[in-house]
Amino acid sequence: MLAMLAWRNIWRNSRRSMIVLGSVVVGVVALIFMDSFMNGFVMQMLFNQIKLNVSHIQIHKEGFRDNKVVQNYIPDQKKVETVLDNFPEIQNYTKRVITFGLLSSARNSSGVYIYGVNPETEVKVSNIHKQIIEGDYLSGNGREILIGKKLAEKLEVGVGDKVVAMSNTPDGSIGSDVFRVTGIFQTVNSEFDKSNIIIPIERAQSMLEVGNKVYEFAMMINDYNKADEIAARIQNKLERNYEVQSYTKILPLLVLQMDMYKEFAYVLNFIIGLALIFGIINAMLMAVFERIREFGVLMSIGMKNYKLFLMIIFEAMFLGVIGTLVGFIIGLAIVYPLSHTGIDMSIFADSLESFGIGSIIYPRLIIGNLLNTLLTIPFITLIGAVYPAFKATRLQPVYAIRYV
Amino acid sequence: MSIIKTEKLEKTYSDNGVPVHALRGIDIEIKKGEYLVIAGPSGSGKTTLLNVLGALDKPSVGSVFFEDKNLADLSKSELSDFRLKNLGFIFQAYNLIPVLTALENIEFSMMLLGISEKERHRRAKDLLKELGIEELADKRPNEMSGGQQQRVAVARAIVNNPTVVLADEPTANLDSKTGGALLDLMEKMNREKNITFIFSSHDKQVIDRAKRLLILKDGKISENE
Ligand SMILES: Nc1ncnc2c1ncn2[C@@H]1O[C@H](COP(=O)(O)OP(=O)(O)OP(=O)(O)O)[C@@H](O)[C@H]1O
Ligand SMILES: [Mg+2]
Repeated sequence: MLAMLAWRNIWRNSRRSMIVLGSVVVGVVALIFMDSFMNGFVMQMLFNQIKLNVSHIQIHKEGFRDNKVVQNYIPDQKKVETVLDNFPEIQNYTKRVITFGLLSSARNSSGVYIYGVNPETEVKVSNIHKQIIEGDYLSGNGREILIGKKLAEKLEVGVGDKVVAMSNTPDGSIGSDVFRVTGIFQTVNSEFDKSNIIIPIERAQSMLEVGNKVYEFAMMINDYNKADEIAARIQNKLERNYEVQSYTKILPLLVLQMDMYKEFAYVLNFIIGLALIFGIINAMLMAVFERIREFGVLMSIGMKNYKLFLMIIFEAMFLGVIGTLVGFIIGLAIVYPLSHTGIDMSIFADSLESFGIGSIIYPRLIIGNLLNTLLTIPFITLIGAVYPAFKATRLQPVYAIRYV
Repeated sequence: MSIIKTEKLEKTYSDNGVPVHALRGIDIEIKKGEYLVIAGPSGSGKTTLLNVLGALDKPSVGSVFFEDKNLADLSKSELSDFRLKNLGFIFQAYNLIPVLTALENIEFSMMLLGISEKERHRRAKDLLKELGIEELADKRPNEMSGGQQQRVAVARAIVNNPTVVLADEPTANLDSKTGGALLDLMEKMNREKNITFIFSSHDKQVIDRAKRLLILKDGKISENE
């Protein structure tokens, strides 16, 4: 009966109840939106790097990452392949030749990382082929080269133009080759576009005079959360002179940044929660003051303090629960479609690209966080009602009855 | 045996630091089943006395005994229980909970006593019938006239079978006809259930029908007949 009374009481001053409900709804919607936006933001940052060239796990010869010279090739490809074939978690891997060199056009030249890739396996690990804005991806034959948009601008070349790549060979001489620009890519990472070129792996090997040597194994696994664990297991199967690293080791700053964003999300939740609490306290205090006389009658006829207290808590809780549910539904209705279509942030495109994000952010709904919101917001409204409810129990019946 | 007995009751309020002597030595004895009206000019202390008798307020000096139990010995929560079990209250107005129907308002008092839902529903219905106001059962206070509200308030006050019902100017907001009907109802309850009624009033009709009249003047009893 107390609950029923509380339920009816909240519809009594429906304007105030609507204000409270409204603020809970807005709070919940804001929480869901901000949370999924931030999650989308950081996860996109990560996945973009992974799908660009980082992949989930990379294998190199020990020392290669510090010194990308042609001498640091994978000692025994066959052995690595045998090991990898025994890991069902690995979905795809690709082999790469990577080194540092110089790319020149008739107009200009620029230092670049040269990626020699096998187009067939590469497209299963990286998605640069989806980011070609002009021309085509590699077919694997001939003197094909893909360069980034920023680099193309610098060298003043377009699709079909000739460029020359140069790099050191193992014996210390200069290997060079002529290429025709097949495609220009524009990834979400403008830094990457400035300094990376992609050519067929055989071309790279012959230009560098390294036979069939490769420098990197890059692979995708079925669950990116297990990258550290699987990397360690692969490392166990290989000798010490191999270095197996997951993306968390390759992108430590990004992982750190992700953690930072998570903490920021807590702060945000805290601020929204705090604002809500004060709104609730204010509204419930008003609700209590408006009914002093009525409470006086209730206390006179023998209603105990704790029941009065409970009744007011119930009122706030109902508002909290309804508001949360409504906010939850509205929040999902807004964010769920956006998580597919994305939010166009082109006005911030330049700064986003230097984050490696791209101008469209796809909010990400995370079940755990949603459940968290579902539980904490009603709890917060309840906390906000404690003080007003306590105030009500402090009333003296005689004073309250006289109160007009 | 007296049901309520007071000894040298005094009540002094402070009005912005100025002491106001609302009650100045009240000694009365009220027996079970009495029908008593406290009359007197405005400001003579009627409401104050009722509040003290009803354990809503504490006297500044003196004591109130209820069936030989000194109310001063009870804690706040015990007083609340005491009122719930032994007393019924009817105020001048706004007695009822606005969001509850007449029936629910009556049930509410029983709910506070912990009576089961079925039982309280039955008792509330029976009582409304007994008082001849069944048709009000599903009405909310704002759908009832002042007189109807006061009758429901009477039902609410007596539903837990209190020993004493205290009513502070119950007819003040009613015209004399509805006021009279309300008095009929209370007289009937007094007669049939032997419930003690204590009123405060300056309504002539109430005073005329009093079986015992207590007149207050400046916080003192000036007549007791
Ligand atoms: N809470 C209070 N604070 C200060 N003075 C009070 C308070 N309550 C009552 N008084 C004073 O005590 C005196 C008695 O008041 P009380 O309300 O008991 O009179 P009453 O006989 O009920 O009057 P009325 O017929 O107008 O209802 C009055 O002078 C009143 O101003
Ligand atoms: Mg009065």
